[in-house]
Amino acid sequence: MNNYIDLLNGFVLKQDKLQQYFGKIIAWGLLSLVVISALIVVSRYGFDAGSIALQEVALYNHAAVFMLGFAYTLQQNEHVRIDVFYGQMTISRQAWIDLFGSLFFALPVIIFIAWSSWDYVALSWKIHESSAEAGGLAYVYLLKTVILIMTFLLGLQSVSLLITSALKIKEYK
Amino acid sequence: MEYLALLLFVMVFLFLMLGFPVALTLAGASLSFALIAAMLGVFDMSFLQNVPSRIFGLMNNTTLMAVPLFVFMGIMLEQSKIAEQLLETMDQLMRGFRGGLGISVILVGALLAASTGIVGATVVTMGLIALPTMLKQGYCPKLATGTICASGTLGQIIPPSIVLILLGDVLSSAYQQAQLNQGIFSPETLAVGDLFIGALFPAMLLVVLYMLYVYAMAIFKPESAPKSFNFAQKISWVRLLSSLIPPLALIGLVLGSILAGFATPTEAASLGAIGALILAFIKNRLSLKVLQSVMQNSLKVTSMIFLIFIGAIFFSLTFRGLGGDELIHELLSDLPGGVFSAVLIVMVLMFVLGFFLDFIEITYVIVPVVAPVLLMMGVDPIWLGIMIAINLQTAFLTPPFGFALFYLKGVAPEIKTTDLYKGVVPYIAIQIFVLIVLAIYPNLATWLPSIIYSN
Repeated sequence: MNNYIDLLNGFVLKQDKLQQYFGKIIAWGLLSLVVISALIVVSRYGFDAGSIALQEVALYNHAAVFMLGFAYTLQQNEHVRIDVFYGQMTISRQAWIDLFGSLFFALPVIIFIAWSSWDYVALSWKIHESSAEAGGLAYVYLLKTVILIMTFLLGLQSVSLLITSALKIKEYK
Repeated sequence: MEYLALLLFVMVFLFLMLGFPVALTLAGASLSFALIAAMLGVFDMSFLQNVPSRIFGLMNNTTLMAVPLFVFMGIMLEQSKIAEQLLETMDQLMRGFRGGLGISVILVGALLAASTGIVGATVVTMGLIALPTMLKQGYCPKLATGTICASGTLGQIIPPSIVLILLGDVLSSAYQQAQLNQGIFSPETLAVGDLFIGALFPAMLLVVLYMLYVYAMAIFKPESAPKSFNFAQKISWVRLLSSLIPPLALIGLVLGSILAGFATPTEAASLGAIGALILAFIKNRLSLKVLQSVMQNSLKVTSMIFLIFIGAIFFSLTFRGLGGDELIHELLSDLPGGVFSAVLIVMVLMFVLGFFLDFIEITYVIVPVVAPVLLMMGVDPIWLGIMIAINLQTAFLTPPFGFALFYLKGVAPEIKTTDLYKGVVPYIAIQIFVLIVLAIYPNLATWLPSIIYSN
């Protein structure tokens, strides 16, 4: 029995560390977003040279940052909660809610998004979908793939939350 | 069968109260409801087939690109201590002036809150920076806490606020839909910039009334808002200007470029973000540690907001699939008293929900449902947006559930809850007064946009 718990603890620790590592890398994407979008404004108004491709780079950057940040934000417990009641609860009550939530809210939603997006993304890969705008980027299929990567990371973090909550319930009961 | 939509609404609301992250609860509760309803044969799952394309639409929304940029700008100003310095200088400037510190807090709150627009962040910052100073100078705790909470929520209404960006995004599609439903096939559009411009006068009115209140307290109850201490050393003009001008110039640049029509809010946001970065660098406040902390905090705030959008996608698709849109339409259009009572009911509903939900949830869950109906009744979209923004701002101040109060209590546990509650009452009165004025004189919100766009 203790073997299982050690195994689970080990998974949670490694998983959470990995998410933190990813999160810190993804956070640099905010700096590049700031720099690229400032470049766009300067080049448009300073040199009267608008570039659709550069605008799309900024948009890809923005989309990838917030999509890939979901899991890190969950790991850091920064997704806003209504804590009128939650804030007053004991640790084990809170853990029950997190267990319930990750099992019945988070995981089904993530599985649904992954399942329903699979064909949507696959079709985009098949036709090597590119931007509808002239001069736009030819990597729409890569951008759409971000949806699947997001579900993978967020799913992993939700499983980790599920296990953490179960371990807490056991510990504080 | 339409009443299933109301059941969905109630159920989601109850589940939210459990305290699991809002975004995932919103999505999860809606999805389970849809699955059960589909099994009972009263819901068509094909409504949810749109989830991937709606998510991709969210990823492609250039208006919303302003969100991470403004968040970055706000957090950079906060963490590089530029905000703190601004408050200190303002205080020194107002030295010897009755109620000077209180007025400085309102002004700085107004300026800085504008950039983050997240109630929590602003109230926490102001609570940490301003509250100890105010108490040290002998301000009565009621006045001090009330002023901080109220100024913290100002960021919701003062452009460039994130609330207005999100409201603009939602209202513009509601406006399109309302016009299409009326058979207008070349609909007028609503841009985020319109809301920014429309919010200017009402926001200034609020700030002026706040300051008048503090000033009146300082005159009539001098013990509650004493003069600042007279320190021997005088502040040099150089220091004054160097701490005052840059942040003011930055906010002026962002707002000015939008108002003058040079830049879209997203472009203005990128100027603001890079400006804050450069400012922190020039002031020698930009270490690698600060930069990383700013980036990570901005990432967390941004992802938090965008995951709620995804939650709202699930909710709105399910709600629509259950016929909720028609239901709301019937309910609101059959009211006695017509437009007036429809707007009143929506405002009261949002005010009450504002106790429990953050503005993002209300904007993306309630507004898309009710706004098209109101707009079809001929309500002006800019006016509606400003009314909603002020209304929500008030809800966040109102005891016992106001978010601003929780946040302040969180960083200042030594403050008595009763002082906190009593302190915000005058500010709530000001808010309600401004709402009534705006209801009677809609021109306050709609006049400036009409002038700017007639040129």
